[in-house]
Amino acid sequence: MRVSVGVLAGLATMVLLARPVVAHHSFAAEYDANKPVTLKGTVSKVEWMNPHARFYVDVKDEKGTTTNWNLELASPNVLVRNGWTRNSLKVGDEVTVEGSRAKDGSNMANARVVKLADGRRVFAGSSGGDAPPPAQK
Amino acid sequence: MSRIWRSAALCFVVVGAAALAAQQTPPAATSPAGSGGLNRAPAAPTGPAPRLPNGKIDLSGVWQGGGPVGNIADGLAKGETLPIKPEWKKIMEGRKAKDDPEANCLPTGVPRRDPYPWRILQTQTHTFLLFEGNIHSYRQIFMDGRKHPQDLDPTWYGHSVGHWEGDTLVVDSVGFNDKFWFDFQGTPHTEQLHTVERYTRTNMATLVIETTIDDPGAYTKPFKISFTARLRPGEELMEYICNENNGYVQHITGAAKEF
Repeated sequence: MRVSVGVLAGLATMVLLARPVVAHHSFAAEYDANKPVTLKGTVSKVEWMNPHARFYVDVKDEKGTTTNWNLELASPNVLVRNGWTRNSLKVGDEVTVEGSRAKDGSNMANARVVKLADGRRVFAGSSGGDAPPPAQK
Repeated sequence: MSRIWRSAALCFVVVGAAALAAQQTPPAATSPAGSGGLNRAPAAPTGPAPRLPNGKIDLSGVWQGGGPVGNIADGLAKGETLPIKPEWKKIMEGRKAKDDPEANCLPTGVPRRDPYPWRILQTQTHTFLLFEGNIHSYRQIFMDGRKHPQDLDPTWYGHSVGHWEGDTLVVDSVGFNDKFWFDFQGTPHTEQLHTVERYTRTNMATLVIETTIDDPGAYTKPFKISFTARLRPGEELMEYICNENNGYVQHITGAAKEF
């Protein structure tokens, strides 16, 4: 799917204007909007399941150590209603993910924006508005 | 979450969806059913509430919202506060977010809603509320004039009987268990809960649900909340099985009242 820069800018603006649409639990109970994280790596697994779709990304640090991150999306129904499919992300995709870290400090985050290697943004507001933007500075 | 913010969030989804839909192929007409909301998100219809052949208001359709999600106090009239008993306030304040039955894929009970669409289905004998999400379940409202049984086993959705007062469907429910919470905050109730919901379709796209909550166990007096459900034209319910992979509840931290 091709999405124009204008549309993305518009979406970004709307994301900034919107508080999260709550899922079956409070976003803030699990994730910290004040702990933004950007992860670059390879998709190792995709779980297209309820109550939240998830994908996992192997992220290599400068020392060559690989850490597997668990990234949460909205439910498949919310994602499908926003145009995504179970094939939007595939194992092996090189991605850059922007999200909010889990409050408990585990290698888990709520994915807000997922960019593919070719520049496509797969999820512009991952959880159908489910994830809030980073805290305003 | 305040209604204003929820509306803003909804605007984001609707406007964002429309913006994306404009960029996508194939066009709406060739989009297969169930392919997602984007390609089949018609504008909300206008006009008065429709009527059934028997003259009653037709409430059928797919709706979203209509009850508390984050905080039941959002539905109070301006300036009002929950008349919660001090001992129950204390219990509420001790509740952990990870213990929210809804986060653990258990039913919302009444009057809580979740962010997923739901459908009203009217028959001659029953009105059904079919919930897509959390959980994939239903409420049945008896419309045949029966009364509540005397000795009810406490249940998540209770026992509901309905009747019409003019153009408003009035649903009276008792027989609830005390397990569900009214919202993310852990707002409590007891098995003495008695709800009277008034469903008024004020126009084609709007359903106002006003609920009187009477629970002498946890509250000093009855109180009234009002939430508005919006029609989701062209939408269909989808499968949503919350318990499929809900293994991350242990990551939820903090007291319920913080949310």
